[in-house]
Amino acid sequence: MGLYFRLISVQIRSQMQYRLQFVVDMLATMLISVASFFTIAFVMQRFGSVAGWSLGEIAFLYGMVETSFGVMDLLFSGFDPGNFGRQTRLGRFDQLLLRPASITLQVFGSEFTLRRLGRIFQGAAVFFFAISLVKPHWTLPHLLFLPFVFLSQVLFFGGLFIIGAALSFWTLEALEIVNIFTYGGTEMMAYPMHIYPSWLRNFFTYILPAIFLNYTPAIYLLNKPDPLHFPAYTPFLAPLAGFGVFFAALAFWNYGIRHYQSSGT
Amino acid sequence: MPPIIQVSHLTKYFKVSVHHRGFWGAFRNLISRQYRLARAVDGITFQVQPGELVGYLGPNGAGKSTTIKMLAGLLVPSGGEILVNGYLPWRERQAYVAKIGAVFGQRTTLWWDLPVIESLELLQYIYRIPGDRFRRNLDEFRQVLALDSFLDIPVRALSLGQRMRADLCAALLHDPLLLFLDEPTIGLDVVAKERIRQFILHINRARGVTVLLTTHDLSDVEKLCERVLIIDHGQLLYDGELTSLRDRFGGKRRLLVDFAQEYVDPQVEGAQITVREGSRVTYEFERNTITASGLISRLSELYRIRDLEVREPEIEETVRRIYEQKLLENH
Repeated sequence: MGLYFRLISVQIRSQMQYRLQFVVDMLATMLISVASFFTIAFVMQRFGSVAGWSLGEIAFLYGMVETSFGVMDLLFSGFDPGNFGRQTRLGRFDQLLLRPASITLQVFGSEFTLRRLGRIFQGAAVFFFAISLVKPHWTLPHLLFLPFVFLSQVLFFGGLFIIGAALSFWTLEALEIVNIFTYGGTEMMAYPMHIYPSWLRNFFTYILPAIFLNYTPAIYLLNKPDPLHFPAYTPFLAPLAGFGVFFAALAFWNYGIRHYQSSGT
Repeated sequence: MPPIIQVSHLTKYFKVSVHHRGFWGAFRNLISRQYRLARAVDGITFQVQPGELVGYLGPNGAGKSTTIKMLAGLLVPSGGEILVNGYLPWRERQAYVAKIGAVFGQRTTLWWDLPVIESLELLQYIYRIPGDRFRRNLDEFRQVLALDSFLDIPVRALSLGQRMRADLCAALLHDPLLLFLDEPTIGLDVVAKERIRQFILHINRARGVTVLLTTHDLSDVEKLCERVLIIDHGQLLYDGELTSLRDRFGGKRRLLVDFAQEYVDPQVEGAQITVREGSRVTYEFERNTITASGLISRLSELYRIRDLEVREPEIEETVRRIYEQKLLENH
């Protein structure tokens, strides 16, 4: 862990050398995500609710997923598939293999994109705005569960990044597909999942368990009816889904490294 | 002493996807990928003793980099055996790389936006180099590589030559027993090349570090290596001393003569005239037909000589002859 913090501190110091760029980048990131939330908010204003969910409740979904994706994007930026794939083609990954330290740890420490803070701030702002609108009646279990949901989402998105990075050992052409799941996934998860057609919902239930990470926990946390009639314990599957995807991703990542070492892409 | 590098029947095959051309070809590429096997390294055997400085030569695509990557543990061999410093490089990666150094041509191991010295200190941490040893090594390398003028400058602002020097320093701070260099002088000017060569000689002579280097620049080899390995099409063509390579395949030596007067046709037995410019004549002769002194005494019996010079065939020419004429195949 000592090495991790040293590597991260290098990244932070490097970015602080370009202070103006950092500020501009962060503001731009923030503006883009603020604009995307306002789009949702204006549409909601017009129609009042989406499939039984109010503006505050949608903002809750949106705020959660934006914040956790932002935190993930900060912590896992070394695995950002496009960037990682490019760096690997340039021989950067070979340099990591030549050092006597864990590869995964070194990749975690190879980027720490501070401008992602813009997205985190914006997500958190929307989240607290949602709380102020909805005023949920939370008991201790609700409050204890919330950080787990958040952590599970971070691990889920992080797992997708790791899978994308591992795929880039084979091909860079598949990265657009990974982006559909990561960036498209966050967009999708910002809405109550029962609005989607069943084939899409089934995919995000049984293949990639995104539904358990934001929608079903929100049903519990906001005390909403469940039109999909999942079992009562379903909201609590979030950690299972988050950790499950993350560890599966790590296994695939290690497999990818072995492939890289035998094919030398 | 046992060899520090033992390579036997080493092979590396790559799957190369076969691309079909044209519109329908692109479509076929999408639905079915066909592969053929490319043999990058095809059954190589050699050993290196501790303290040797070995040049590894070959034309582009001959398999040099693939071999070095396997030796450094970056690639897993398809067949054969590698034992370096008692390790299987790819299997025991972390323990193995802690005792080797490697510099891969144009790529840097340093952190782009950090001053050089901070990168070196971070490597000290990664390699767990004790403080006193780190300082001792750094002091020595600062002198030999003349690092002082740019230790506080971020790597992104260094010239290629400075960056290479910083990278060499970085590769040696942890006292590796073995150093792999892939094209260490590529893209450098004459002065920078010379400094790098001096340093490579220094760490080999003074510290006994075993060095294996690939290069395009044969003057690197002439100045550094006593032993060369020549590889082409994945096979080892030559393994031996540089001097005997020249003796066997050196081709013709040349004698440049400046006569005291112009002769119509200054022929001499055992040599051919290749260039004539007035009184200046260039002869070529085979080393096993006549010695240089024999040829000179024959000439001076027949003609009046003002000045002369013997030219050895250059190693570059020698190696090119080997590649082009495939002199070493079927040996």
